[in-house]
Amino acid sequence: MLMMPLLNLQLGDRIVTLMAALVLVLQIAMVSQRWIVIHIRIFAAQSLFLAMIAATIAWFNHAPHLYVAAALTLVVKVILVPILFERLVKRMEIHEEIEPFVNVPLSVVIAGGLTLVGYVVAASFYRPDAPGLGHNALAVAISLFLIGFFTMINRRKALTQVLALLSLENGLFLAAISLTYGMPLIVELGIFFDVLVAAMVLGILVYRIRETFESVDVSRLRRLRG
Amino acid sequence: MTERMMIRLIENAAQLFLLLALAPLVTGVIRTLKARLQTRRGPGILQPYRDLRKLFRKGMVIPETASWIFAATPWVVFFSTLLAGLMIPMVAAEAPLGLFGGVLAVIYLLGLGRFFLALSGLDSGSSFGGLGSSREMTISALAEPAMMLAIFTVAIGAGSTGLTEIAGAAIGQNWRFLAPAQMFAFAALALVLIAETGRIPVDNPDTHLELTMIHEAMILEYSGPYLALIEWAVSIKQLVLMTLLINCFWPIGLQPTWFGFGALQGIGWLLAKLLFLSCAIVLLETVNAKMRLFRVPELLAVAFTLGSLALVSTFLF
Repeated sequence: MLMMPLLNLQLGDRIVTLMAALVLVLQIAMVSQRWIVIHIRIFAAQSLFLAMIAATIAWFNHAPHLYVAAALTLVVKVILVPILFERLVKRMEIHEEIEPFVNVPLSVVIAGGLTLVGYVVAASFYRPDAPGLGHNALAVAISLFLIGFFTMINRRKALTQVLALLSLENGLFLAAISLTYGMPLIVELGIFFDVLVAAMVLGILVYRIRETFESVDVSRLRRLRG
Repeated sequence: MTERMMIRLIENAAQLFLLLALAPLVTGVIRTLKARLQTRRGPGILQPYRDLRKLFRKGMVIPETASWIFAATPWVVFFSTLLAGLMIPMVAAEAPLGLFGGVLAVIYLLGLGRFFLALSGLDSGSSFGGLGSSREMTISALAEPAMMLAIFTVAIGAGSTGLTEIAGAAIGQNWRFLAPAQMFAFAALALVLIAETGRIPVDNPDTHLELTMIHEAMILEYSGPYLALIEWAVSIKQLVLMTLLINCFWPIGLQPTWFGFGALQGIGWLLAKLLFLSCAIVLLETVNAKMRLFRVPELLAVAFTLGSLALVSTFLF
């Protein structure tokens, strides 16, 4: 008896919950990571799971336009943005480690605490009678959002802040697909275009900051310089 | 009364034999696999047995400054580990000494062994020993809470901290480990396993380099039969922790009791799962470099966070 007989929707719910948990684990791994290239790759892996969640919801809820969202996530966040950032890292010759303001063990524990907050907030949205997928996914989405914010505050370098912003955006995407099973396609297209443009603009901005200040450490951006 | 007692005795003897015989083999398999993965020939999977035989035949050097703790430690470590091994379900969910204590007893029996090892490291008076003891205690103080949280997550599912009940509740739920809470707990316990058995990102079991060694520094003064006892106990501890991880999270093939033909099937599954876990450990050891000591708390903080998430998510969802 390897496979229990399950309703389709329950199976879908399980798969989504499992992948949402993996996404959350990767988010916490990102908080604990010191090397920027690995950080970028973890972000790519997280986005890959997100694309798989979108595809799963599309399959079990018969929402074909979510396949487009999944494919776009795959192209933009798993392939384009990581390549863009790795090239940026190579061009700027960043070799030093990420130095967060709060030390890493404490950051990880804080990330755990923020996840609890996410779960508590999501629990108030929980309705046993409401049909559908992924109540756990909402909790994970809120946690991603909070941890993303925390990571942005916690990092000195502009590039890692951009990565945190993108993982925060992953949380928004997860919340959107787990609550609504897909917004209208045109909205999603807009969002993806936004993300791509934001990543490019921020990439250029990071490069400019470095050109001007000889560092991407934003805590040095206090002085005005003509 | 007698028949029941006889069965109990046979169970105990069988598990005792399995622990004593299998533990060096697991160590040997891990070493050989690792050597092969690094394109070395390796010493062969039976080498730990040969090492033990050689050490038992040798004489001993005992430091002049050492007290009775130095002589008592190998025995305490060996028997506390063995006792912990008899309390965990290996082949069947029913642990031979399961009635004497649950998972807390297992953890603290292993803790007793570690405590004595740390004492003996200090006792010999060598500076390396003290250094190893302090490192070992630092790591274990961080690993223990994570381990507790992960174990409690599993215990809540079974409604008991008895390992017989925990393993019994897991039987038949072969896909349960895919639930998020179980997965968090599994990840936390796997990280703790690496830290507790002194595997590579935390400690390197193959080196005597003074900057990096943790466990080896504590037992540096031991030689001959005492060293053999400690080495044997360490490999049994590794087997115990691996079995705990396997039987709590992958209950496929675990038998409810030891009876008859089922026991053979149970042993087969146990060996297969141990081999799988060994391969995973070997892969992890080969692709990772050893961490600096001050980075180890980061790894264990991740384990702790995963453990607490596991515990909380069982309550909330």
